[in-house]
Amino acid sequence: MQNTPHALKKGIGFGLKHVAYIAIAFIFVLPLWWAIVSSLRPNTEVFADIFPFTAKALIPSPFSLEAYQGVFDRGFGIIIANTMFVAIVTMIGGLIVNGMAGFAFAVFDFKGKNAILTLIIISFMLPFEAIALPLYTVTLQLGWLDNVAALIVPSVANGLAVFLFYQFFKEVPKDYLEAAKLDGANWFDVLVRIYVPLSIPTCISAGLLLFVFQWEAFLWPLLAMPSQQFKVIQVGMAAFQQQYQTIWNQLFAVSVITALIPIALLLPLQRYYVQGLASAGIKG
Amino acid sequence: MKMWNTALAISMVAAMTAVPALAQDKTLNMIVIEGGDTTAMQAVVDAYTAAHPGTKINLQPYPFAQFFQVAELRLRSKDTGIDLVYVDAPLVASYASRGFLAPVDASIDTSSLVPAAIDAGKYDATQFALPINNSAQVLFYNKKLFADAGITAPDGLTAGQNATQADVDTLGSTKRWTWEQVADTAQKLTVKDGGRTTQYGFTVEQFGELYQLQPLGESLGTDVIAPDGVTAKGYLDSEAWTKAGTYWANLYNEWAVSPKSLGYGEAASLFGNGQLAMFAGGTWNLPILAQTGVDFGVAPFPYFEGGKVLTPTGSWYVGVSAASTNQAEAFDFAKFLTTSDEGTRVWFKALNQLPVSKPLLDEISTAADFDAFPNNVFRLGVYDSLNTAKARPVTAAYGQLQDAFRTAFIDMANGVAVKDALASAVQKFESAAARVAQ
Amino acid sequence: MVRSKTPLFLLAVLLAPALVGLVVFRLYPIALAVSDSFFNMLRGNQVFVGLDNYVALFTDSAFWKSLQVTLWFNLLINPIQIALALGLALLYVQKFKGVPFYRVLFLIPIGVSLPTAVIIWRIMLSPDGLANGVLNIAGIPGQPWLTSESLALYSIIAIATWKGISYWMIFIIGGLQNISPEIYDAARIDGARAWQRLIFITIPLLRPTLLFVLVADVSINFLLFAPIFMITQGGPADSTNVLMYEAFKSGFIFGDMGRAMAIIVVVVAILLVIVGLQFRLLNGKPEKK
Repeated sequence: MQNTPHALKKGIGFGLKHVAYIAIAFIFVLPLWWAIVSSLRPNTEVFADIFPFTAKALIPSPFSLEAYQGVFDRGFGIIIANTMFVAIVTMIGGLIVNGMAGFAFAVFDFKGKNAILTLIIISFMLPFEAIALPLYTVTLQLGWLDNVAALIVPSVANGLAVFLFYQFFKEVPKDYLEAAKLDGANWFDVLVRIYVPLSIPTCISAGLLLFVFQWEAFLWPLLAMPSQQFKVIQVGMAAFQQQYQTIWNQLFAVSVITALIPIALLLPLQRYYVQGLASAGIKG
Repeated sequence: MKMWNTALAISMVAAMTAVPALAQDKTLNMIVIEGGDTTAMQAVVDAYTAAHPGTKINLQPYPFAQFFQVAELRLRSKDTGIDLVYVDAPLVASYASRGFLAPVDASIDTSSLVPAAIDAGKYDATQFALPINNSAQVLFYNKKLFADAGITAPDGLTAGQNATQADVDTLGSTKRWTWEQVADTAQKLTVKDGGRTTQYGFTVEQFGELYQLQPLGESLGTDVIAPDGVTAKGYLDSEAWTKAGTYWANLYNEWAVSPKSLGYGEAASLFGNGQLAMFAGGTWNLPILAQTGVDFGVAPFPYFEGGKVLTPTGSWYVGVSAASTNQAEAFDFAKFLTTSDEGTRVWFKALNQLPVSKPLLDEISTAADFDAFPNNVFRLGVYDSLNTAKARPVTAAYGQLQDAFRTAFIDMANGVAVKDALASAVQKFESAAARVAQ
Repeated sequence: MVRSKTPLFLLAVLLAPALVGLVVFRLYPIALAVSDSFFNMLRGNQVFVGLDNYVALFTDSAFWKSLQVTLWFNLLINPIQIALALGLALLYVQKFKGVPFYRVLFLIPIGVSLPTAVIIWRIMLSPDGLANGVLNIAGIPGQPWLTSESLALYSIIAIATWKGISYWMIFIIGGLQNISPEIYDAARIDGARAWQRLIFITIPLLRPTLLFVLVADVSINFLLFAPIFMITQGGPADSTNVLMYEAFKSGFIFGDMGRAMAIIVVVVAILLVIVGLQFRLLNGKPEKK
């Protein structure tokens, strides 16, 4: 058997690779695992094995589904649907609006371009807390308080997303563009037929950016929806930490549900991500 | 998929139809803390609107952790969408000094309220807010852990024993434990296993908070800041506060009887699991502990041997926003909430917080309903609020004081030298307060 | 040349929605917020004080200490996050049996919101928590992760990194898609080793993506204060008191918006200098082959 040492070496390499991946995955998963376990316990038992820590902390015992039941009794189904709606509308609007702007910056030269780009970069350099008050005043003047528009519209235009599209589009070889123009294609065709198909991975990144921004939004929904008729996830979750007690198991139940939704949305998009890439990296 | 769509449609309709009420009705908006406080306030609102059909009151609940931030933002923007404000006692001065609150209508008769609570709603001798309820701190102890260790538990109120107001007065005036006793016992009740602590002897509920710890140093004779509201030198770094700080630091380091950096609610959680023998906390823990099945007793809040008995006090107030266009109606509701027999009673029934209304306090002292545990714990609250309660300092820089104080006490628990931590707190408070008072 | 005949109408249509949105909901509020740094609140009145709030920062020892913490924090967290995100992205795109399973696990922190991540980690890193439990099994004494002056800042970095790298990984994977596989094949034929391909092909060709990730990550980390607010509140002994937290305290807890906005303007100025340098270093076109 001539190739046994080779196969053996390969086998060891394969094993080592799995050990490395498992070690990394362990660090990513452990906190969520503990959250899952805690969400499956009665509230009074959440800390039973953690202070001090024993291995039992990683098993949901005593087991209880009361947290999940409680979460849905509180109307978290609607709250999650609300957040999905806000995040998805923002994402779709944001991809179009910011993609167009990124395209314009990448393809055309015009007076004041660098100054405008600098302003776009400054637009994401201030903490939201600092502009919350003036933004609230603007929304008040527009009469949008307690209207979902106040949650969505201000977040559609996003400086980071414009910057991301700009960084990608300016790397697209100009030859494509010139060839298309010579064939008599109009600008709209150029954008839709050439730039959009090339930019699917970038669109996914930008979509994630816009989606996560809304998925984690907290202070703004709290301010913009004072009547609290339309709640989003982070606002709903804050109610678990009350003045005199915290409903830990429900807090973790919602954490688990809300962690899984973006992952479930991302997974089907994976095929756009890992095409022909095996050679990109460190593999020998 | 269909379910999602329906849910989306419903929630969208709900959001879009949230339009203001009809013009002839007066609609008042009140910001309030989400949770039990909102439920209780809704009960009062229902009682009020039953008698005043022309008025509609919308509650805008915000989570506790964000309440102050949101209130600050909205009040500063002179938002006319807020009429009534739920105000934490020590913030009255800060809000009033910046013009956020309207002076209280002088025609409101407050003679039925505890005078100390009325005074804490004043700034520059003007009444800006009315007290809704009070608070009381007690020492909870786990009877089983004491019995198992063969240690005598503090004298206190427990299940199965009735207590008249006279009994409770005797308990509060003669049988109160000292902090030294707490420390001695806590060391005996702290159990370590292989370097880790499996059972803690004692903790305070709110880690490093001025509200709970102010009596530590003041009980030894020195206020936390000067009466001018901006000077801390000679107060927070005094001998009394150094002794109090040392005691506090020892709880976490030398004696190691207290768990570090507990979040809200975690003390009750540990106590309920039988991993904590004693904790100093609010009477609001009673319903939470009742659910856990742990056999516990309630003793008076401790003091330093040879020092003065002082206990934390003060709670929530109601004010009317200076930007409100419905101030007369808003004050009418505030009056109902804080001074009427019906309003105070509904609030007390719903939230079970120590009242500030004298008729209700009399009822607690005399009515047979309050003889049995745990209702008789309110009698301890009555005794303390009449005899030992010490309000937090009145200063427009209260936020600065609270932050500097908390930082210093957390640092001491984490091993920073007591004198350094207090000196740093004095410096931080004074430089931040100077900017407010310039 | 395409560029010579820029269609102005088209340009306006493409840019208007984003620019109007950014001006109304970001830049105008920013201008209002910045103007607050020239005012102080005195007895309920806004008083114009010119540059006083900035001048006061010069002699403000809390500000200087906090600036040091901020710079040290960012000097560490940004390279760490970007290097780990790049490494993770390279692991993510490998193809072998079982890798789809790991890919799911790598994505987990994306969906966990920062406050939730902080709550979970605070409990894991508490003195009797899970991290010390694991150390004890290995015979190592427990560490005061969040409560000691020497460890707290690094624990915060670890928490923010756990939460952040999966997110940045996605952007880098997107960038990797834009590198043509033929370049690698050619390099392989030339006998380039894996690390050579990483340094001489992957990283240079990833420059546009890396610039984006760098600028975005640095901005976000300079503004980061939620974990500090939730766990250490700037302590112990101010060791985690970054400028954003100092500004947050001034503005929201002390009601001193003038000082808060002056600090934020300083932070943004520092950020602009850093971002400008990053553009200089990374924005050059990759050399033509």
